Amino acid sequence: MLNVFIFVVLPYAALALLLFVTPYRYFSNRLVWSAYSTQFLEQKALFWGSIPWHYGILPVLAAHLVSVILPGPMKAILGNPRALILLEDIGQGLGLLALFGCLALLLRRLRTPMLKAVTSAADLALLALLLVEVATGVYMGIFIRGGPLWYLYTAVPYFHSLLAFNPQVEYVADFPMVFKVHAAGAFLFVAVLPFTKLVHLLYLPVGFLKDPPILYRWRTSKTGE
Amino acid sequence: MDVRAQLVMVFNLDKCIGCHACSISCKNIWTDRRGAEYMWWNNVESKPGVGYPKGWEDQGTYKGGWVAGGNRLRLRALGKVPTLLNLFFQPNLPKLTDYYEPFDFDYGNLYGAGDADDQPVAGAFSQISGRKIESIQGGPNWDDDLSGSRLYAANDVNLEDRGIVEDYGRMFLQYLPRICNHCLHPACVASCPSRAIYKRGEDGIVLVDQNVCKGWRFCTTACPYKKVYFNWDSGKAEKCIFCFPRTETGQCNACAHSCVGRIRYVGVLLYDTERVEQALLEPDDRLVEAHRAVILDPRDPAVREAARKNGVSAQWLDAAVNSPAYALVKEFGLALPLHPEFRTFPMAYYIPSLSPVLSVEGESHELMEHGLFPEVDSMRAPLSYLASLLSGGNRDVVAAALARLIALRVFTRAKNLDQPVPGGVLERAGLDEAAAVRLYRLLTIGGYGERNVIPAQQREEQDPHVRKGAGGFGILKKAGRRK
Repeated sequence: MLNVFIFVVLPYAALALLLFVTPYRYFSNRLVWSAYSTQFLEQKALFWGSIPWHYGILPVLAAHLVSVILPGPMKAILGNPRALILLEDIGQGLGLLALFGCLALLLRRLRTPMLKAVTSAADLALLALLLVEVATGVYMGIFIRGGPLWYLYTAVPYFHSLLAFNPQVEYVADFPMVFKVHAAGAFLFVAVLPFTKLVHLLYLPVGFLKDPPILYRWRTSKTGE
Repeated sequence: MDVRAQLVMVFNLDKCIGCHACSISCKNIWTDRRGAEYMWWNNVESKPGVGYPKGWEDQGTYKGGWVAGGNRLRLRALGKVPTLLNLFFQPNLPKLTDYYEPFDFDYGNLYGAGDADDQPVAGAFSQISGRKIESIQGGPNWDDDLSGSRLYAANDVNLEDRGIVEDYGRMFLQYLPRICNHCLHPACVASCPSRAIYKRGEDGIVLVDQNVCKGWRFCTTACPYKKVYFNWDSGKAEKCIFCFPRTETGQCNACAHSCVGRIRYVGVLLYDTERVEQALLEPDDRLVEAHRAVILDPRDPAVREAARKNGVSAQWLDAAVNSPAYALVKEFGLALPLHPEFRTFPMAYYIPSLSPVLSVEGESHELMEHGLFPEVDSMRAPLSYLASLLSGGNRDVVAAALARLIALRVFTRAKNLDQPVPGGVLERAGLDEAAAVRLYRLLTIGGYGERNVIPAQQREEQDPHVRKGAGGFGILKKAGRRK
C-alpha cells in the first residue's frame, strides 16, 4: 500500500502539478517569480550556505537525470569499476557539500533576526525537506555502496516504466525505508516546486550571453510605425 | 548617424539649499511601501561627504560602471560567463547596512505608556525586522551638513587634502542632489542576465520590467551611482523611473516640480547612438568633451532629418531646439556630467557651484568691486574637488564653466546698477550680450515653461482610427482575430 502511494500516486500527482500549475503561475502573475534572495539582508552565512549548496546539489541532480535520459552510455561507463568508484566518490563529496550548505542555510534562517521578516513557513519547510532529501541520499551513498550502478538498474527502469504509464513498482519495492523516504521526498519536491520559490530553478539565464550589452525597447517600431 | 532623443535633467548646484523637498516628494509618490523603505530614488548628499550608500563613489569597493580596456568597454564587476558562475552568491552586492536600516518610531508608546517617573519616549524600531533599535546607526543623509566630518566628509574620495575637513577657514559645503542618470550606456542594463532592464527608445528612460526581473542583483552592483535598489520584500530590482507617467504627459518630474530652489531643468537632448561607445573609450580627462561631441545640434538640418527618420516627432524636435538642457550642457558648456569616468554616459548634468567665491575672509567682495576674475585656485571649493566630481579630473572644463558663471555675475551686476560692463568680461568667457541675457534669465527668473521643456509622448498619433472609441476601454494588447 505504502509502495503504491510512494511509487505510483505521488509521482503522477507531482508531475501533474508541475505540468499544470507552473504555466498557470507563469502566465497569471510573474511578479512573484523570483528566487527571493536575502543576500541584501545577510551575506556572511549565505556565502557558506548558498555556494556549497548549489554547487553540490546541481551536479548530483544532473547525474540522477542523466542516468534516466541516457541509460545506455551510463551503463557502458559504469561497467568500468574504476569509473564507478570515481563517480561514486565524487558524488559522495558533492552530496556532503550540499548537506553542509543546506544545514548552513537552515541555521542561517533560524538564527538571523533580520531574516524573520522575509522567512515564511514554506521557506523553512522547504529547507527541512531538502535537508531530509540530501541526508538520506548521503546515508545511502555511505551504507548502500555502488549507488550509481544499482540506481541505474533499479530506479532508472522504474522511471522509464512511469514515463510509459505502466508503473512497475517491483523494481524499487524491496529497498529499505531510507530509499523510500528519499523517493517520496523527491516527488514531494517536484510537487511543491510550482507553488514555492523553487520555480527559480526552472529559469537559467542564458539568452543574455549572445545579446548586445544595451537593450532598447520601443513603444512603436523604431521607424515610427 | 543614428539619432535618438533623451530626456535629461540638469541641476544648478549653485542654487541647491539641501532642503530635501525633492527626496520627500519622490518618497511619497514612489517608495513609501514595504521593501522600499530604505530606497531614495532621489537623494541629496552633502559634499564633501560619503553619500548614500556610504562611499558609493569608490568603485574599488563597489565595482560599478565600465572600464575601457583597449578598444572595448567591459563591466568592472563581472563579465557574462562569470555572471553565470556567480548566480548563487553575488560577490559584490552592497549590504543593507551600506545604505541604512530603515526605521520608524513607536509613537503609540507616547499614549499607551503606563505611569512612570520619566516621560515616555517614542523609541525607534526597524522597519524590516520590527525589532527595537537602541541606537540608530545610519540614515539616508546621515552626514547632512558635514555632521561627523571626521568620519564621513574626510572619507570623500574626491578630496585631495583630507585635512580640509577640520580647517574651518578652508572647509566648504555644497549639496549634490542625485537621481538615476538614465545613462546612454547603462551598466545596469548590460549586467542583467534576465534582460529585465531596458532603455526606452523614445525618451531614453531606463526601466526595470518587474515581470521579467528575477532578482539576480547584478544591476545593483553594476550601477556605479548605486541607483538600482533591491526590494527585499518583492525580491526584485527597482529604480528611479524619471516619473515617466508625468513626463509622458508633458509634466516635469516630481522632484523637479517640488524643488524650492528651482535648480532643476528638464529637457531633450539629441544624440548619435553610433558614437556613444567610441566616445567612452577616451581617457578620463577627455570624457566631457567626448560627451559633448556625441550630443547633436537640434537646429542642424542633417540631424533633424536623421531624427525624423528614426521616428522623433516634430514636437520632440521643437522641444530639442528649446531645450534648457541643450543650452546648458552643449551650447554654453556650463553643465557637467557626474563622474564621467564611470563611463556610463550619465544623462544628468550639474552646473558646478560658484559660491562662496573666494576662500579668504575679507576678499569676498573684491570680485564685485573690481570686476576681476578671481583666480580659479582661490575658490573656496577646490577646483580639484569639482574636477574629480564632474569632469574625470579635467580642471579646464570646470574652470571654463566657473569663469562663465563669474562673467555672468559681473555683467548682470553692472546692468542692475546701471554701470558700464567692464570691457572684455563676457568675451573672455566666450559669451556675448545676447547669450548673457538669455543665460541670466534661464539661471534665475526663468519660469516653469522655460525650465521644463518636456514634449508629451504623442500616443494619440499611434493610429487614431484604431484607437478611436477604445480610449480607456482597457484593451492593452492587440485585440481581434488573427488572420
